[in-house]
Amino acid sequence: MTIRGKIPFLAGTLMALGLGWVGFPYAINTRRPQPVDFSHKVHAEKGGTKCEDCHAFREDGTFAGIPTLDKCSGCHAAAMGTTVAEKNFIDQYVTPNREPQWADYARQPENVFFSHSVHVKRAGMTCESCHGPTGASDSLRPYREDRISGYPAEIWKVSGTNHGMKMADCVDCHRSKRMEQSCLDCHK
Amino acid sequence: MKTTRRDILLFAGGSAVGVLMTPAPWRLITDSALWSENWPGIPRPARGAITAKYTNCALCAAGCAVRARCVAEQPVSLVGVAGHPLSHGAMCAYGLAGHHLPYHPARVTRGPVEEAATAVAGAMARLGANERVAVLDLRPGRTASWTYRRAMAAVKNGVYVEVGDVGNSAIDLTKARTVLSLSVPLLEGWGTPGNVIAARAGFHLIQAEAVESRTAAMADQWLRIKAGSEEALGQGILLALGGQSTAAAAEATGIPEQQILALASELKQNGPALVVGGAGSQSAAQLAAQLNDALGALGRTIVARRDAPVPDGWKKAAPAVDLASVEDGSIRVLLIDESAPGAYLPWSDVEPKLVRDNPVVVALGWTREGYGRHAQYLLPTGVYPEVAEDIPRAVDSVEAVFRMAVPLVQAPQGVVKPEEWIAKAAGLEVGDTLRERADAIHKAGRGTLFTYADGKSVATKDVKTDDFWKALQAGACWMDEVEPAKRPAAVKVAAGATRQAAGSANDLPLVAMLTEAPSSPLLSKIYQESNLKLGPKQVAIHPDEARAAGVEDGARAVLETLAGRIDVEVRVDASVSRGAVLVARRAAVLDVCGAGVRAKVVRA
Repeated sequence: MTIRGKIPFLAGTLMALGLGWVGFPYAINTRRPQPVDFSHKVHAEKGGTKCEDCHAFREDGTFAGIPTLDKCSGCHAAAMGTTVAEKNFIDQYVTPNREPQWADYARQPENVFFSHSVHVKRAGMTCESCHGPTGASDSLRPYREDRISGYPAEIWKVSGTNHGMKMADCVDCHRSKRMEQSCLDCHK
Repeated sequence: MKTTRRDILLFAGGSAVGVLMTPAPWRLITDSALWSENWPGIPRPARGAITAKYTNCALCAAGCAVRARCVAEQPVSLVGVAGHPLSHGAMCAYGLAGHHLPYHPARVTRGPVEEAATAVAGAMARLGANERVAVLDLRPGRTASWTYRRAMAAVKNGVYVEVGDVGNSAIDLTKARTVLSLSVPLLEGWGTPGNVIAARAGFHLIQAEAVESRTAAMADQWLRIKAGSEEALGQGILLALGGQSTAAAAEATGIPEQQILALASELKQNGPALVVGGAGSQSAAQLAAQLNDALGALGRTIVARRDAPVPDGWKKAAPAVDLASVEDGSIRVLLIDESAPGAYLPWSDVEPKLVRDNPVVVALGWTREGYGRHAQYLLPTGVYPEVAEDIPRAVDSVEAVFRMAVPLVQAPQGVVKPEEWIAKAAGLEVGDTLRERADAIHKAGRGTLFTYADGKSVATKDVKTDDFWKALQAGACWMDEVEPAKRPAAVKVAAGATRQAAGSANDLPLVAMLTEAPSSPLLSKIYQESNLKLGPKQVAIHPDEARAAGVEDGARAVLETLAGRIDVEVRVDASVSRGAVLVARRAAVLDVCGAGVRAKVVRA
């Protein structure tokens, strides 16, 4: 191939690399903001709350997940502070008693059974092990959803970590603990 | 610079190479795979609040207490209720998958309800003097059974036929020290699983059976008797207890005479003893009763049991009879309640009882695999856990009990409630019979109410009537007060669950063993897509038996019994005992071949 011939080839390659590494990840996901600009950092530092205060386990050991409005209203029956986010939360959700439609960054496929209780209580894992430093974030990053599969983009890579939440990531961790033998642990 | 076609191709080639070095194609492949998991037709589990509901399993008479984990009101898993005085927190494999039953592939949800009502009304109007209207109740002992009896008392020539009633006696396994089981599947679905397991350590189990069933494998002693020689063994023990010769029994059973004498001695010396079996025929039942009487079991391990109270107004009801006592060719209208899974009476026993000219047969069932194959009308019914129904007493429940299966999921549109449909056909007005029964029990003031959510027992008389009913609807069990053990007036034990007595034909060399029926789509999916279980018309035999019959693995053959013939496919399996033929527990097979029945496999 001559120099003259290499130019279009390299141009095509560079364009594809650019589109594949920059354009594609952007285009494959939809984005939407969370309903409330929530600060984990403020709640942890100023409110002194811990992860499990809001993301609690029920009496029967099941994980309650994202807290419902009742939980928030326990403290935020009236505005606490003068921020725009606080006003928005009170006006749009607390006062009309409307549940915020939080988007779950870690939603798993329907054919997977995941027990938070086993991982947190029995294995002693921290929330950050899987979810990354979400607890220290000052605002909620936009929720990105894969246009084709419909799963959260963070399944492929959790923000602030070098791992995802796909089966391969679960298997890697289980394998490191020598607990990878049972498919039925997750696929019941 | 002029762009040539060659440049465009080079650009495209470079792009193709470049794309391969990006995550795009690999991600698209993954996404496509994930997308395929989410086709629009794929059912999506409901998401919502996780709650616990309590009920009682209605798949068999054991009626094990159930805790259902529900997500958005949809049950997703069932477990036993720890601390339950009868079921002890245990459940069988089918009970654990019971919430799949409404989604069974063979489920029927539509039927000619109005046409059947018209046909039944017409036939009843033209009923001859010697013709009968009959209800065949495959699960007697329920509140619905009382309604059937009342309905049959209300119509001309009505007769209520029950199958497999255990009478007013119960077996108290906790009192037994030695148990002789005559081919009864004592450890595999006979009584209440948790109750049997809890009592198991307290008795020495001797299983007399021609094949090594699971019970035989788990028994303390397996007596390998000749096929169909259970009655001969029982007779031999009776003779031994009376000090007479057992030579004939030894010849018939294939067991040495000394062993029969030792067995009789053990039953007598290591009491209280119990003999379980003998429901296959009148003579076998009578023999088992005689044995228990001779061993002093009556009043000790077999005790009288009161029935749960019923409203006084219900007692004007037709008596319960068994099918054999109904004259041949007399039933003009036959209404069959097979809404509960499990029981089945071979059609060859039922058909002779029908009139020859145009009998009207209505089957009320949840699947088309039962009597719906023979009836003119198959009406769809709800099935556990869709409907509210009480569960009959278990054979090993010493006290009378009343507990209900409460609906955990909604029944599909168009299903009928057999009790209401039959009552309406008979012109009997019924209200909320379960509530009436519960009120009658509460009014009697006996016994205790065990509530599942808190695991507490409270005296019935300390509960208000409405609270009693609410508790039963929320999963609770009423248990009668414990009475001193009494000798039952008449003994008729272990019916229904007992393996049927074998036939006597000597040219049928094999003994049939039944596999369990898949009752959940999950289990049936495995069953349909693998060879883990026998198909509907498959039988399995030992290689030696296959050689003797001249059939090979996969060959078409005919299964012959005294009741008839059925085309089957043969599977040759070395794990099947010699002398046995393993058949699937399906209605089509049960029409000609029950468990313990003598059979023969011949080349097609």
